[in-house]
Amino acid sequence: MKTLLDIENGKKIKILKISGGKGIRHHLQCLGIHVGDIAVLKKSSFLGGPVLLEVNGYDLALGKGVASKIEVEEIE
Amino acid sequence: MKIAFIGQPNAGKSTIFNGLAGYKTVTANFPGQTVNYTISTVKLGDEVFEIVDLPGIYSLTAIDMAELESRKYILSGQADVVINVIDASTLSRSLELTLQLAELQVPMVICLNMMDEARRKGIEINKEKLSQIFGVPVIETVANKGIGLDKIFSSAKEAYYKKLIPKIQLFHKDIEEKIEEIEKMMPTELVKNIPGRYISLKLLEGDQEIFKEIRNYPEFFNKIKQIREEIKKTHGRHTDSVISSERHALTMNIFEEVAKVGEPSKSFREKVDDILTNKYFGYPLLLIIVFGIFFIVFEIGRIVEDPLVGIFDSMIEKLPGFLENDSLIFFIFKGLLEGFSGGLGVAIPYLIPFFIGLTILEDIGYLPRMAFLMDTIMHRIGLHGKSILPFVISYGCNVPGVMGTRILESPRDRFITAALSVFIPCAARSTIIFGLVGAYIGGLAAAGLYIFNICIVMILGGILTRFIPEITPGLIMEIPPLRIPTLKNIFLKTWLRLKDFMLVAWPLLVISSIILSLLEYFKMDTILNKIFSPIVSWMLGLPEETGITLVFGILRKELSMIMLFQAMHTTQLNTVMTNVQLIVFTIFTLFYIPCVGTMGVLLRELGARKMILITVLTITVALILSVLSRIILSLII
Repeated sequence: MKTLLDIENGKKIKILKISGGKGIRHHLQCLGIHVGDIAVLKKSSFLGGPVLLEVNGYDLALGKGVASKIEVEEIE
Repeated sequence: MKIAFIGQPNAGKSTIFNGLAGYKTVTANFPGQTVNYTISTVKLGDEVFEIVDLPGIYSLTAIDMAELESRKYILSGQADVVINVIDASTLSRSLELTLQLAELQVPMVICLNMMDEARRKGIEINKEKLSQIFGVPVIETVANKGIGLDKIFSSAKEAYYKKLIPKIQLFHKDIEEKIEEIEKMMPTELVKNIPGRYISLKLLEGDQEIFKEIRNYPEFFNKIKQIREEIKKTHGRHTDSVISSERHALTMNIFEEVAKVGEPSKSFREKVDDILTNKYFGYPLLLIIVFGIFFIVFEIGRIVEDPLVGIFDSMIEKLPGFLENDSLIFFIFKGLLEGFSGGLGVAIPYLIPFFIGLTILEDIGYLPRMAFLMDTIMHRIGLHGKSILPFVISYGCNVPGVMGTRILESPRDRFITAALSVFIPCAARSTIIFGLVGAYIGGLAAAGLYIFNICIVMILGGILTRFIPEITPGLIMEIPPLRIPTLKNIFLKTWLRLKDFMLVAWPLLVISSIILSLLEYFKMDTILNKIFSPIVSWMLGLPEETGITLVFGILRKELSMIMLFQAMHTTQLNTVMTNVQLIVFTIFTLFYIPCVGTMGVLLRELGARKMILITVLTITVALILSVLSRIILSLII
């Protein structure tokens, strides 16, 4: 299963599953990130750094730990 | 009439608030700028409006302290009208909060802010349609340019007098049935003035605060658990995810009904943004920007400082011509002039360019990008990228820096970040670095001290994390679009911050300066110096006279330096102190005891125990570092 860390720059993805505890799930839900959302990975992780995701028209930085808990698939 | 501004972080609530109330709160382009609320009254004709600027919240399920503050205020039922400020360029997400606010059943106005940015993104919004769906007034604004703000009070009045309460948007039937079921069973004491539907939904979402309250009703509590299990079974997901998805689906429907998304104009800004967070260019640019600002601040400050201090110096020199030397009145005047000189000559020339630089970085939106770039490094000291924001603000002043830790989610992160923020040299301590080490030894040595400071902060971070380990959830942060700061905002914000210094710090400087003069007159200073001499002379190897200046430094850090001139009876310190002594003095003032203001805010944010703990830590660190640097530097130089 691929996570956000395995995706290359500029690829379009669909969020399949958000694993991890209730805290992360809540936080992402509040920011408007849901299973089934389509997003673009604007910046992939570099040197263990965070990823930058464009979703629903805004940018979101996700740390490595969080990114590894979001399972995705590439589309197109 | 009480009007509360509620919206998601960085939607522009404070900008609107400032536009209406005159400049009262500090705004910036990063999510979570407002950490406590500001209230102001505005008189319009013969009507008085009380307006409240609340911290931004993504949803009514509070995640951090600042959000909890907002939610508490909204639920207290104090607001007559709620103005839901929406960043129109992120309408679909923003509507999720709007749906939740609607459940509170308070008269509401929807304010679509940043319409210019939405258009740039190619989003067209049909506001009549949106108004129809929610049954409340919808207005459009571009707050930073002051466009549309005049409509706010009139629409708030309309919502209030016509009782325009937002229409509730219904979920799917099976969920609605469960909500109804819970509402019927709900103990009446629980409802009070909050709508039962809101409580039912929050219970389904597993809201901890409300769950705590229903512990006392075991029957009800068990029933809720049972319903949550049922939903989980039928939907195959956690109930909170189900509700969140339902709400998401509703907002997407509304969004599609009211908004048309065209082609966004691929802008110059996006290209700049791309470079700023680029994995190769991002870090060199970060260094250039940070050092650039310090260099400019240092250069401008020095150019202005010399002539200004010169004027005061010549005045003090002429003083014996007017007043009898060594009389009480002479000492009072001398202290007064020295205090004024310290504020105007030494602090302000550095403060103004620093505040302007910080404001520009904030308003452009560079700080969140910095958090993005620094995330990996911050993980090394057990924190994550967001902690960089309080740190950067602390370079201006530790007080807002410590308050800024409220944007962090876990109490542990807040404590560590606050403890480390206190070690960051604020503008006051920067004047000491520039004024002593920079002026007498050189800019390179001053820059070296900053780097030394950063290293120590990182080491301390590493140590503190070892003592309080915890896996932090990591960075989850919105990166707002780059914005072009308006001159007016930069000017007003710099003024607001400077005013703070002039009203609070400067008088303190002048008064302390006079007290020092009086102590000198009554020969009390030597007694105080004697008391501290074991530490000052024996441990740190500094002239005994510096003892008293270090005591006054607790009030305001720059006092230490200003009084140093006074205590040593010269403005040419290099004639009475060696370079090693100057550096040791600077290092000690850099790290020891946060000033009174910072201690106050630590007390408020973390409690007495942690405040004392941090204070003791700073003194210990300062003593160890000063002694070490004294030994090492004596060997080298």
